[in-house]
Amino acid sequence: MPKLTFRGGVHPLHSEHEGKLPTRNKPVRDFAPEQVSILMGMHLGAPSKPCVQKGDHVKMGQLIGEPVGGLGVAVHASVSGEVVAVEPINYMTAAPQMCVTIKNDFKDEWVELKPLGDVETCDPTQVVPAIKAAGICGMGGAAFPTHVKLTIREGAYCDTIILNGAECETYLTADYRLMLEDSTRIVDGLRAVMRALDVKKGVIAIEDNKPEAIEAMEKAAQGRAGVQVVTLKTKYPQGGEKQLIQAVTGREVPVKKLPLDAHVIVLNVGTAHAIADAVIEGKPLVQRITTVTGCVVNPDNLRTRVGTPLQEAINACGGYKEEPGKIICGGGMTGNCAPNDTIPTTKATNGIVVYNEKEAKSVEEGPCIRCGRCVESCPMGLNPYQIKHFCDMDRLDEAQKLDVMDCVVCGSCSYICPAQRSLTASFKVAKEKIAAAAKRGKA
Amino acid sequence: MPKDNKSLASVFFNGVINENPTFRLVLGTCPTLAVTTSAINGLGMGAAATFVLLGSNAVISLLRNFIPDKVRIPAFIVVICTFVTMVQMLMQAFVPSLYDALGMFIPLIVVNCIILARAEAFASKNRVLPSIVDGLGMGVGFTLAITVMGAIRELIGAGTVFGIQVMSSGYQPMLLIVMASGGFLTFGLYLGLFNLIVNRIEKKKKGGAAA
Amino acid sequence: MNLRLSIAPHIRSGETTSRLMLNVIIALVPCAIAGIYNFGVNALVVLAVSMVTAVAAEYLFQVIARRPVRVGDLSALVTGLILGLNLPPTAPWWMAMVGSAFAIIIVKELFGGIGSNFMNPALTARAVLLASWPVFMTTFVNPTYWAEGVDAVTTATPLATGGVAPLDLLLGRIPGSIGEVSKIMILVGLAYLLITRTISWRIPVIMVATTGLLSWAFGSDPLAAVLSGGLLFGAVFMATDYTTSPMTAKGQAVYAVGCGLIVAVIRAFGNYPEGVTYGILVMNVATPLIDKFIRNRVYGHRKEEKAHA
Repeated sequence: MPKLTFRGGVHPLHSEHEGKLPTRNKPVRDFAPEQVSILMGMHLGAPSKPCVQKGDHVKMGQLIGEPVGGLGVAVHASVSGEVVAVEPINYMTAAPQMCVTIKNDFKDEWVELKPLGDVETCDPTQVVPAIKAAGICGMGGAAFPTHVKLTIREGAYCDTIILNGAECETYLTADYRLMLEDSTRIVDGLRAVMRALDVKKGVIAIEDNKPEAIEAMEKAAQGRAGVQVVTLKTKYPQGGEKQLIQAVTGREVPVKKLPLDAHVIVLNVGTAHAIADAVIEGKPLVQRITTVTGCVVNPDNLRTRVGTPLQEAINACGGYKEEPGKIICGGGMTGNCAPNDTIPTTKATNGIVVYNEKEAKSVEEGPCIRCGRCVESCPMGLNPYQIKHFCDMDRLDEAQKLDVMDCVVCGSCSYICPAQRSLTASFKVAKEKIAAAAKRGKA
Repeated sequence: MPKDNKSLASVFFNGVINENPTFRLVLGTCPTLAVTTSAINGLGMGAAATFVLLGSNAVISLLRNFIPDKVRIPAFIVVICTFVTMVQMLMQAFVPSLYDALGMFIPLIVVNCIILARAEAFASKNRVLPSIVDGLGMGVGFTLAITVMGAIRELIGAGTVFGIQVMSSGYQPMLLIVMASGGFLTFGLYLGLFNLIVNRIEKKKKGGAAA
Repeated sequence: MNLRLSIAPHIRSGETTSRLMLNVIIALVPCAIAGIYNFGVNALVVLAVSMVTAVAAEYLFQVIARRPVRVGDLSALVTGLILGLNLPPTAPWWMAMVGSAFAIIIVKELFGGIGSNFMNPALTARAVLLASWPVFMTTFVNPTYWAEGVDAVTTATPLATGGVAPLDLLLGRIPGSIGEVSKIMILVGLAYLLITRTISWRIPVIMVATTGLLSWAFGSDPLAAVLSGGLLFGAVFMATDYTTSPMTAKGQAVYAVGCGLIVAVIRAFGNYPEGVTYGILVMNVATPLIDKFIRNRVYGHRKEEKAHA
């Protein structure tokens, strides 16, 4: 079978196996921190409303944040213990975020769980409500509420569910380890969703730099109705939702539309795993695998609790090897910088990458030499050099005419630019400004 | 519209520097590009244009209250034509070599924008004396600009200035500069340099006044 | 702990402007060596003068104009070297100097420096020199090494005379500009540029193929057309200049066909024996137009939607 791919793209850290070598052979290790700080706004959409008070004793999996609005997601306690604070903390966002801090008593007492049972025999109409109750949101990075994604609006239909096991992002091995170690659960999650939406085709897409994962998933998929595994070429951003759909189905998501308009739903393998946990065991999403790598003593894959302070996760991996210069939540191409190491992880934190001071050095922007590499690398077919020109002049109207809003902020253009221009950063800022202006216009 | 109390000197220097027809208004670029292959051509063209400017400005100023507004452009052209024809005949009679060198660019002075522009913008709205001074200022500004440009092009493109050998005999003239493309090139650089210098001076003046 | 904050991506490819320029210089070295070997000391003088002048002119201009000094990106050195290789081996040193200064100051820096010039600086300077000193620019000599014992004799280029064996063309045993005569060395340079992914194959291959095919259609020997004159050198090192060639693959194809077409037409029907300079310069000027009209299709946009948008 031919390897599938999309147009454009880049090969970051290709000679170093995408930066995954330090952790790819490290089995997932459980880690529970002393204390967790669980943010109410981990997902896309309005932050949840805390429903516990300081001094309360909570059990693992107990609801501590109620969903608010259409894109709301429930938040659960990830450890058992005493609530020590319910107050806003400084996070990566501009405004402080409401947060529930729980001191771990290390008893891991679960609340009473209500499993639906086996994924092949359970009531399919109860799957999406179970996902909603489990507070599951996309675990690949964007943290879009999963139950919303799985609610098919009037007139639309879905014929394919794609599980995203590409993990094209550099350094990260969380999904890879999950596919190796818990492949059956991932397929269970896929089957649960396929049954819930009555979809006959489920595809698990994996990049060809993870042959062991492909083998494990193929084994797990054997005998499961409608499930197949496909091999993708290793190229960044292969795991981008739009690129993945193009590679697997040959379809394109129409501009300003959702994957559902291409009759596809894409879920991360981690999300599928969480769905299976919710259906089979009734467990809410309170822990996930996070790759801790870079300038730490023992790079590792940790199964951490949601809300683990970065510092504790890093200490669990032996602490810093050198004075850190930058801490990235996520991978090298799209991750966000942490302002300090006390902020907590979220449901979408798939990696913590520590850079030493040398690696963290900023680059100086030079003038564009019109080499065309950004145009060639853009997976969306944009003209980054030209959009950047208008962004620098703050001519957002012109940038919009050049389809800056279609930019997926994958970072390929900035990565490839020989003049070291911060193309992606400009587009990110421009997109935020345009979105804010549109919101103001509506209000 | 310039007031009567504006000194004649300021009207004159306005044409030479601030509103230099070549550099500031970028008018009359056709002769500027075409005839500046040598300094003498530039001077001759400048002198001819100045003569026409003086005459047309004076006459149009005198007639300004009699020319109906609707037909003023044809009327101006008739006046300008008269002076151009005079210049053409005079040059043919007294400086035939220059007349040959400038060729059809002499009759084309009729459509030189500088002359019509001054008639429209100045002479038709001002009294005779300021109009003559304006014509003189504009003429001198134009003449200076294209003579210097002619000299530069002649120097680089032929090694001479006003026909006198300036460069040493081993100098290999850069032919491009006296070709049409060289005209554009020199004009562009010359225009940029003039504006750079004038803007610097003005900035300094303003800075000084503020301090 | 002092953590740096920046917007993703946090990884860069490591490719820099100066590295790309260095690649071009390395690719040009074989041509330069062949030129010096074939034509002797004066070729070396011409190359040295044009390179030193280019760098000095850029440095002085940037200091005087109070712009950031970017001599370190090596682009001026590339311009100087390419211009030098484009001159006849008998060119006087002052001509190399004037050409180099013109290329850097007027064609490159006055239009905003690296990335902002609309024509290839070295080629424009060559065109200026050709118009200014046609005698010096079209005086070619036989290579001294190959024609042992024979004094350098003024001769026309093979394009003007015709009838030179392809092997001589390939090895550079012909009169011509310093860099253009040894086709093998040009191909070595091309191979290096392709291996290091400094340029793509599109522009050189399409341009040379277009000229070859059209020359054949116009009734001359296509192999000789490809191997003679400055076609290969121009197609590999000058038509591929980043700044003055289109950004998209399709645009580059159109540009290369345009270059090849103009070269073939000038050679067959024009007054000049060689048309590479003008072919590339004309397409340089057309590049913004090509980039305006030939774009990649944006993901998720259908053609008809884009048309009325």
